[in-house]
Amino acid sequence: MRWTSSVRNFFLMPAVIWVLVFTIFPLGYSLYAAFHNVTNETIVNRMEVPRLDKAGEPVLRPDGTPRMKTEVVRETVTKWEFVGLDNFKRLFTDTVLHEAIKVTAIFVGVGLAIQMTLGLALAMLFNRDMPGRSLLRTIMILPIFTTPVAAGYLFFTIFYEEGGPLGWTGIPWLSNPSWALFSVIVVDVWQWTPFCFLVFLAALQGIPDELLEAVKLDTNSNWTTFREVLLPLLMPTIVIVLLLRFAEAMKVFDIVASLTVGGPGNATQSLSYLAFRTGLRFFDVGYASAIAYTLLALVMVVVTILFKRIRTIYA
Amino acid sequence: MPDAHAAELPATRRRMSMTDSLCWLLAIAVTLLFFFPLYWAVSTSLRNPADTFTVTGIGIPFINFTPTLDNFRTELSTPEGFRALRTSLFVSITATLLALMLGMPAAYALARFRYWSNADITVWFLSQRVLPPVATLIPFYIVFRNIGLLDTPYALILINTTFVLPFVVVIMRQTFLDLPVELEESAMVDGASYFGAFMRIALPLAAPAAAATAMIIFAFTWNEFLFSSSLGITQTKMMPAHMAGAVDTRGIQFWFMATRALIAMIPPVLLALLAQRYIVRGLTLGAVKG
Repeated sequence: MRWTSSVRNFFLMPAVIWVLVFTIFPLGYSLYAAFHNVTNETIVNRMEVPRLDKAGEPVLRPDGTPRMKTEVVRETVTKWEFVGLDNFKRLFTDTVLHEAIKVTAIFVGVGLAIQMTLGLALAMLFNRDMPGRSLLRTIMILPIFTTPVAAGYLFFTIFYEEGGPLGWTGIPWLSNPSWALFSVIVVDVWQWTPFCFLVFLAALQGIPDELLEAVKLDTNSNWTTFREVLLPLLMPTIVIVLLLRFAEAMKVFDIVASLTVGGPGNATQSLSYLAFRTGLRFFDVGYASAIAYTLLALVMVVVTILFKRIRTIYA
Repeated sequence: MPDAHAAELPATRRRMSMTDSLCWLLAIAVTLLFFFPLYWAVSTSLRNPADTFTVTGIGIPFINFTPTLDNFRTELSTPEGFRALRTSLFVSITATLLALMLGMPAAYALARFRYWSNADITVWFLSQRVLPPVATLIPFYIVFRNIGLLDTPYALILINTTFVLPFVVVIMRQTFLDLPVELEESAMVDGASYFGAFMRIALPLAAPAAAATAMIIFAFTWNEFLFSSSLGITQTKMMPAHMAGAVDTRGIQFWFMATRALIAMIPPVLLALLAQRYIVRGLTLGAVKG
């Protein structure tokens, strides 16, 4: 049941061209930049120009020559110097980058483990008749769409160590490097566990009751039912949620920018945040592009492994 | 042993309902835990600055302190705050409409026409979402600076449209697939063109899903921070960037932080609640039907 008219291209092409222009082009540009050392130089030119009066006429000296003044013209010149693989070689010796990779890996690994397990547990918990369930579910959805930067600032007020609502714990939430990374993870867990929960709950409710009743004839153990029946049925959903969360978590920027600004020290500086700072704060565009490509490569490795599974979903 | 069996049934039922009510209480506790940060924001935003750290208990308005709307009044009366709100609305609405206009025909095409591989094209659109945005940030920054689009809403509109386009393509493709093709084919027997069938038959039927998609991508555009803080430097700050900027200049003022966070959060959260039925499908990019 598929049409083959050549009209099809008028439908599809605008979107395809748009995406090509706005992603392939910048990616190519980035790659080009990664092979260059890009420096901004401010050239200050002093020029002698005639002084003008309000009517725009030159002001004349008594001897008839125009009065001159010095005008300073600043011009930013970007210089592109081809440096071959230098930026990529730097990746291997840059300890700040290595720390950022470690921070990102811990953030993604620990964060996703908590979100997936907790999300699944909550979905099992909510997958039964209870009074006011849809209201509880609605409240659980709220964190997903809160502005991530706002969530970061919000948790800043909560993690405030003197007088915040968690101050009584005495935990150095944001001032201790390890705790600060944990706090960043907590915000992500708060925002995205509800997403995992919601999707798993939808998947659980898609499992027909007859099937579960049939299973009850075989075993009374909830654990066996979960492991032998529910988990395999949920597997495709778990894979897609894991993949989506992985892709999003690898990009983490907003929470870091608002909650910890990468600190204390570089303890919570993620790869995205490092690339951003290198490129737009220190204007080391070439190296920033190399960092961005490192991040892209790390994401692609995992996505490629899972690619076949994703493709079958849309086939 | 029929007697033993009969005696066991009610007991089992009682034990089951015991588990159920424990689960219910646990579910309420967890929900409250997840709700706490939002509640805390509301509570902080209603406090007098002087009360910020002195409240007792868990800061319940009227019981632990006298609430005031002063923070909201102050915040909304600044011209910067108002301008940020306006920029956010303009960018989000335009990007949403643009993404729908580009994405819906593509989605329809992928649902109805045969290409060399519809699945591969769909996944190609999806792969955008996997791309770390920071990899395109610097090129965009340089190019927009060179062509004079830096610090204009148009730069943000172009970029956000690109980011949300995959959502439209993938979600709407699934929606069109679920519609019966016979309606469109009979319209075409009656002389409608492919375009006519799309506009007059498929589009009206897909309208509810399109509206929900629009709400979800509006929320995404609204929440976007990396580009809006890098490219909208002074004149075109959107709400999230405005919030971050105020922290830089004014220092940390918890009451304003909470107030501003709430103002930034309310539109996307409200829209998401309206689109609740489509959230699972939307956020899993059509892979899981909610």
